[in-house]
Amino acid sequence: MSESSKGESPKAGGSEGFTVSRRTFLALSAGTAAVVAAHYAIKWPKFSPKSAPQQGTKGVQTETWVYTSCLNCRARCAINVRVVNGKAVRILGNPNSTYTDGKTCPRSHIGLQVLYDPERTKTPLKRTGAKGRGEDPKWQPISWQAALDEISGKLATISGEPNRLLVLQGLNTESDEHLIRRFAQAYGTRNLFSEDNLETGAEKEGRRLADGRDNSGYELESVDHTFTHYILAFSASIVESEGPLTRNLRLWGKIRREEPNRAKVVVIDPRYSITAAKADEWIPNNPGTDGTLAMAIAYVIISEGLYDQDFTDNWTYGFEDYKKTVLENFRPEDVADKAGVAADVIRRIAREFARSKPAIAWSGMGATSWPHGTYASHAIYCLNALVGSMDARGGIIYQEPPPYRDMPVISGAEPGIDFRETANLILHNAVDVIIGFNSNLIMSLPETKAEASIWDAPLKKPYYVHIAPSLTEMADYADIVLPACTYLEEWGYETAPPGSGYAEVRIKRPTVEPLYDSRPTAQIIFDLATRTGSTVKDAFKNIGDSPEGFVRYRTAAFWDTLEADGVWGGPDYHYGKYNQIFHTDSKKFEFHSANLTELLDVKFVGNEGYPLKLVTYHPVLHIKNGSQNYPWAQEIFLVMHGYGWDNFVEMNTETAHHLGIDDRDRVWIQSDVDGTTRRIKARARVFEGMLPGVVAVAVGQGHYASGKWDKDIGVNPNEIIGLDYDAVSGQPSFFNTRVKVYKA
Amino acid sequence: MAHWGMVIDLDKCVGCQACSLACKSENNVPFGSPDEQRRRLDIFWHKVIAASKGEYPNATTEIIPMPCMHCEHPSCVSVCPAKATYQREDGIVMQNFRRCIGCKYCIVACPYGARSFNYKEQENEEYQRPDLPPDLGLSFETYIGPWPYPHRTHGVVEKCTFCFHRIDQGLKQGKRIGIDVVPACVEACPTVARAFGDLDDPKSNVSQLLASRDSLKLRPEFGTEPKVVYLPR
Repeated sequence: MSESSKGESPKAGGSEGFTVSRRTFLALSAGTAAVVAAHYAIKWPKFSPKSAPQQGTKGVQTETWVYTSCLNCRARCAINVRVVNGKAVRILGNPNSTYTDGKTCPRSHIGLQVLYDPERTKTPLKRTGAKGRGEDPKWQPISWQAALDEISGKLATISGEPNRLLVLQGLNTESDEHLIRRFAQAYGTRNLFSEDNLETGAEKEGRRLADGRDNSGYELESVDHTFTHYILAFSASIVESEGPLTRNLRLWGKIRREEPNRAKVVVIDPRYSITAAKADEWIPNNPGTDGTLAMAIAYVIISEGLYDQDFTDNWTYGFEDYKKTVLENFRPEDVADKAGVAADVIRRIAREFARSKPAIAWSGMGATSWPHGTYASHAIYCLNALVGSMDARGGIIYQEPPPYRDMPVISGAEPGIDFRETANLILHNAVDVIIGFNSNLIMSLPETKAEASIWDAPLKKPYYVHIAPSLTEMADYADIVLPACTYLEEWGYETAPPGSGYAEVRIKRPTVEPLYDSRPTAQIIFDLATRTGSTVKDAFKNIGDSPEGFVRYRTAAFWDTLEADGVWGGPDYHYGKYNQIFHTDSKKFEFHSANLTELLDVKFVGNEGYPLKLVTYHPVLHIKNGSQNYPWAQEIFLVMHGYGWDNFVEMNTETAHHLGIDDRDRVWIQSDVDGTTRRIKARARVFEGMLPGVVAVAVGQGHYASGKWDKDIGVNPNEIIGLDYDAVSGQPSFFNTRVKVYKA
Repeated sequence: MAHWGMVIDLDKCVGCQACSLACKSENNVPFGSPDEQRRRLDIFWHKVIAASKGEYPNATTEIIPMPCMHCEHPSCVSVCPAKATYQREDGIVMQNFRRCIGCKYCIVACPYGARSFNYKEQENEEYQRPDLPPDLGLSFETYIGPWPYPHRTHGVVEKCTFCFHRIDQGLKQGKRIGIDVVPACVEACPTVARAFGDLDDPKSNVSQLLASRDSLKLRPEFGTEPKVVYLPR
């Protein structure tokens, strides 16, 4: 113990200072088991943020708390904002939300810096300079009137061929998304790309194959307080990057320590994520083998008769074929080498998983962003059906839709295209006008490295309208920029994402007046609609006429509750509705086994001589709105490494030793896809939490636009990733690029 | 007199850092910059650290939220030549910005790295928000605590106060500390991993939590007797 008493203060990383405490941890943990039962009687304190003890503050003329909702990721949680003297100063959870239990995740606090970001666009802008990355745009301020007239003029020129319009949808308030969708449909274009498909396209498609639904989710706590007892996370960092984050965080606390049977969490991931660090077991696997492992686990469950026979007999279709595929191809001993996980570990995990009900098999982006991603998602999802977790307490639920008032029916097909179609439209110059609603697509696209970007030239051609609060990287291609206001200045409504089963709607309302000359996105769409031909104009009649009116119109059935409480909760969820929940042709849960053997063929792109595999991940403080210009998020960006304001090429000690690289060295990370080499320079982070042969880079950094706190900070790994797609859903395959790393 | 303490359950905590952000926003703690972080000059009243040990694939990382430990025997108080840092009767270790001479002895003496030196210029607008602390009726002449935060002082040492302003005002209003009123980090914790209350009261939630499980204090060999106690996994 004496060596550490001379240790430095633990502030900067703290491993030295912690040595002794760590031993204490070990010594004490032996006694922990005995007291597990005892803690159950003790209630954690409950307190209401309403009683925040700040009334009577000196210098306060006006103080209000405003219920609204967050928009720093797609979970859109209910929040409560303190507004003092007309300025938003604090964000807490809305205590009326049972979905989040009145809590919020760390990202919600960043909202203040989203609102008061000094880089926000102040007025509509028109480009008078050249387009493209690194060009001088020579922005010229113009009036809203002139900007909207110019855009509607452009739309008129292609009204004969409406599919020449592409609409990009980044992270927007849900009510705005409904308006954007309606605008596209009324205009007549089917080309609307929603950017959440970049991350979830394959996962959703794999589940849709099984149940024909889009709204399935993991319910860690049921409405009658049954808790999930076992979570098998396939490259899913549940408490870091998986949504709905706040709910996951709150329920993590509950399933671990607030109910008698502490849930067991097993994380299968080549990277030691925060979830892996906090889980009971971390099983590093070879990248891209999550689907294979799921099938091997199914092998054990089926061959040992551990599956829910009642469910498979009565409510599934194709089980016999699936069983045959599993038993013929996925014996744990046969796939162990491929997956990098020992057969006895697979067998043990499978037995635990099948015997600890309710259990959930959770697929993450690292499991599904592959050419075989849809099949991997399907294979993982099928595990839930095997152990009887479909539509069960603490298992998989189908989120109920809120009773929004329907808008008048308009003609035309529902717009919506996948990423592959979007990429082809852009790369083959098949669109003339692009409207981006809070889109920063360029940061998520593969092969964007400046001098070798396949996107730079094609994106310069169409007329691009950038509608967003700030000049993010996509503004490099904009002809016109419209300053939309942030989510803390606008009206809207948000639906809770799948997770609770019962529906929840959150209100969005202005906490402060829109700053500068910015306007709410909904207002911009209404204004555009009135200028864009009679079909579009008519589609926006009688739906409320204004952003606030639209919210009141859509939520008429429960407006009073929504306005008073900030949230509206639907009736309790009912389980086991097997005769109505499956929307497949057979009206049953379908096992699609035809393509599952493709899981065994993990395809990589790039030079085969490159020895390493690049994986990426979304750290918790990666804000999902296309910007990272938020100092609070930046300074604590990577908690696992104790650093902010940067990201790293993370690698195992063994890999680093082999390459002659030391911790914090500057290194190049290089890919070679179809004869084009791309490389980015970053610092190496050498540690034990990584599968040898794999390097990981966090996304969220590498911005090169205007931000004072995000420009030229860290690197964007997507710049060197090879363009490849999931075969079925067209989602980009972010995880299968070969790279090499060498000292800079 | 109550003896305030905090209990942090490391089994529930997942290092999301909502606590650190709530602290920044509650106490108007300035944010740093890449340069300040490189030079370790950025100011944190609360920080989440990670400590790793072991080798792949059996490596483990403990993620530990670190407020000020508000030690029973605070070494920072012993070393302060200006009597600027002191312990209140209720055990909270405070910093008087008007007495502090910026010598940083306390930063060196603190075994937990809980203290930061404010190099920021007063006129730096980035941390002047109108989120004022409550009116505690304190007199500039007689009160020797840290002066409320919108008025920051350049060249002094700062640290976590257990959100003393919330506690003091809550007591005045007859609220239950630990239930109705808690520090900002406790309020913000989405996993409900933190609890705050009176360590001397066997019925308080912190005392009951400590009775329910084994617990540990960081760096016990220093004899500082921290009042932030951790429940291991």
